[in-house]
Amino acid sequence: MALSKEVYREFEDVVGPEYICDDPTIMPSYHGVEHAAVIFPENTAQVQALVKLCNKHKLRIAAISTAWTGMFPPGLIYLDMRRMNRIIEINEKNMYAVVEPYVISGQLQAELFKRGLHMNMKGAGSNCTALLRGHGHLDQSTGGDDRNHLAVEWITPEGEIVRTGAMGSTDEWFCGDGPGPSMRAIISSAVPPGVTPGIFTKTAVKLYNWPGPSKWPIQGISPKYTLAELPSNMMARYYSFPSVEKMWEAEIKLGENEICLELMGFNPAMVAANITTCNEDDAKMFQKLNAESKGPGFFVIIAGNSSADFAYRKKVLEQIVRDADGESMKSLEDPEIEGILLCQCTRISASIRETFRPGGAFNSIPIMSQRDLTIRWAVGAGEAKLPLIEKGYIVDDGGAFFGWGVEQGHLGKTEIFCKFNPREEEAAAAVTKWQQEQSKRAFDESYFASLFGPISPEVSKKMSGFNVWWQKIVEAVDPNKVAPQGGPLV
Amino acid sequence: MGLEQYEDDVNICCRCSCCKFIPMQQIVGREYTYICPSISRYHYHSYSGGGRLNILAAGLKNGFNYTDRLLDIVYNCQLCGACGASCNYAMDMEVQQPLEEFRIKCVEEGQTNPALQKVIKGLRKTGSMVETQGKRGAWASGLKLKDATKEKVDVLYHVGCLTSYDKNMQKLAKATAKILKKAGVKFGIAGDAETCCGGRAYQMGYRNDFLKQAKKNMALIKKAGVKTVVTSCADGYHAFKVLYDQHDLKGNVEVLHISEYIDRLIKQGKLNLKKDLGLSVTYHDPCRLGRMGEPWIHWEGQKIPGGQHIFDPPKEYRRGTKGTYEPPREVIRSIPGVNLTEMTRIKEYAWCCGAGGGVIDSNPEFAQWTAKERIDEAMSTGAEAIVTACPWCEKTFNEAIRGSGSSMKVFDIVELVAKAI
Repeated sequence: MALSKEVYREFEDVVGPEYICDDPTIMPSYHGVEHAAVIFPENTAQVQALVKLCNKHKLRIAAISTAWTGMFPPGLIYLDMRRMNRIIEINEKNMYAVVEPYVISGQLQAELFKRGLHMNMKGAGSNCTALLRGHGHLDQSTGGDDRNHLAVEWITPEGEIVRTGAMGSTDEWFCGDGPGPSMRAIISSAVPPGVTPGIFTKTAVKLYNWPGPSKWPIQGISPKYTLAELPSNMMARYYSFPSVEKMWEAEIKLGENEICLELMGFNPAMVAANITTCNEDDAKMFQKLNAESKGPGFFVIIAGNSSADFAYRKKVLEQIVRDADGESMKSLEDPEIEGILLCQCTRISASIRETFRPGGAFNSIPIMSQRDLTIRWAVGAGEAKLPLIEKGYIVDDGGAFFGWGVEQGHLGKTEIFCKFNPREEEAAAAVTKWQQEQSKRAFDESYFASLFGPISPEVSKKMSGFNVWWQKIVEAVDPNKVAPQGGPLV
Repeated sequence: MGLEQYEDDVNICCRCSCCKFIPMQQIVGREYTYICPSISRYHYHSYSGGGRLNILAAGLKNGFNYTDRLLDIVYNCQLCGACGASCNYAMDMEVQQPLEEFRIKCVEEGQTNPALQKVIKGLRKTGSMVETQGKRGAWASGLKLKDATKEKVDVLYHVGCLTSYDKNMQKLAKATAKILKKAGVKFGIAGDAETCCGGRAYQMGYRNDFLKQAKKNMALIKKAGVKTVVTSCADGYHAFKVLYDQHDLKGNVEVLHISEYIDRLIKQGKLNLKKDLGLSVTYHDPCRLGRMGEPWIHWEGQKIPGGQHIFDPPKEYRRGTKGTYEPPREVIRSIPGVNLTEMTRIKEYAWCCGAGGGVIDSNPEFAQWTAKERIDEAMSTGAEAIVTACPWCEKTFNEAIRGSGSSMKVFDIVELVAKAI
């Protein structure tokens, strides 16, 4: 949908001619969608002005950071937030950092490491925004998602600037819930259809103690970086177990004992992707690790603040794994491989290898829910992948799934995906069918309801009509319907 | 074959934005994390490596519409190779090659840039990529160097267009000759008969002009019995070493950058650097000596059918890690009184000087903006001077410094070596 010259000029007046473009030439690089215009605001005031113009002209607007993922309807005013890339503050005393949308996690994390601090990192990768909505490898020690949101600067869909939590009554960002207004229930939602309408222009993220080095001692050359030395009080291991039940037994005990810096429920295919430097080696390494594995497993990093602390964590870890008949995968105890995993799985720099490198695309069913329940569903979803593997439609990962527990581990993320070549039509169709069938099975068998795509009346009814209530909230804050449903997560 | 051979590669881009940054594991702070000048200057994703590939993917599917914006995207890129070097940490795909092929396609279909067209017109007339004043070999007047067009020489010093004709750069040729003489190297030059290596024409998309230049050069090399070609220009180095090999024109001739040759001469005890220069420096890796200067990999094979992007035989990607990085650093470290401090973005992740891909001709403002970014990074090290190993870098840095009022000094590595002899 093209903007009229007059309307275009109104937007142009806000940001200047260099920072707005509606030329169709650029749209293939913006998800192949015909946006009304791509605009680069420089600050909160400009974002507010742009949102108000969208209300005036009844145009829909969405903002992105690096925009790795995202589904966008055509005709949007598409805000690329590249120019808002400042780390506003790192408050070491109160342990929070304030960032703008285009600060990526890799940048903020590097600054934090220097200060002995850390943050929750999105499992998607450190190439994603450091702003809201992170969960991933470190959830056991940092919590995930809204646990880490402190005060937020939010431009509502009507163009009002709302500063939540402590920012509502002070100039500090230390709390998301007060003494100013807490909007947590509205602004923290990441799952469609409940993605918060409006645009976040600054947020404070909670920080944690970082027991590791101020900078990883990287050596070697791309695509294989190793560590010159392993830190003395850190250890990475992969454990496999004779059954899903045993794996879960160990996972929940580790969560309850709060000893892990990281517990990531990788499968051998994802470990292979991390430690190999090309697809050919990846395939071979997967077969090797799969043969070595006793069954389902997970990857753990423990880190001590002292040698005594580390020794305690290690002792507890080994006891729990032993009690569940688990075994450490010997190949991965090689110090070089351990170093690769320590670095990549704290910096979250290899998720591209795990997902896109093998085939060019992946389709996924992710769910944040009761971990033991979703694991049981995922076993069946994995078995349903095997015929696709046999036909060569998807990359062989043994039908595996992955996930992790958050904090003590009862709540957690479970995800299963198929890696494939999207240009092979039969493969793409088979993956879509698998995705639909396994999502339906999750609902029919009362595991969970997948909330991607339109919500059926049946699903709505079982989930207390949450989507209806959410829609009412959206209508209240977005009377002119400028915010599209869904939106980018990273 | 052309661009079409890279259809799988352009389609496999997952839009992760890693082409905009140095690899995540190399990031050590907020500053100096961006790697691509084009996206950094122009912001639109279309100006990144990945964004360009997205456009190529759409074009290969639906046809190309050569709008002004598309040509702006095409020509405002130094083709410095940084996006591919970063991408290939995680992905198995070609990035640089499709970008080069598309520029060639643009030229072949008449979608040229007027400023570059003018430069190429000059090349066709004079054999030079820069304006010519006087004779090409005039800088060597009185130096009594061997003439490779008249006698056999083992070592040919290919001077390059900018160094030969630019009055401010001829000092580099003189310094190089002084160094080689001092080390007792029996070398020759082609003097007035020297012609452009063709490398910059290739970067601009003019493959046929490049091939003509390459063939002329190789004919001279063969006739003179040259065993080793030495260049003091990174573009020349890349052309002789990589592009000629890529196009099966290089033969067995050894190609060395002057920094490699000096490093060898020092280690052989043929060159002693004695004079204390008392200077703190940082070193800038020229793109075409560094990441783009890594050897060409001849590969022929095919994709194995199925969902996985794998090949028979396995495909090795050029990630820029085998470029020429240590020899210039070794040379700098061997100069008495010179203290080398590294910048954040170095070697295969060095930020471009701005001159590549014809940008210095087609968009000097963008070239200077890019150079200014590098000068700022150099200043952050506390060094007094930035040392480079390519006349194009030196020219661009000097112009950026003149525009900014910075006190940073710029030296080519041969200048320092010549001073230290």
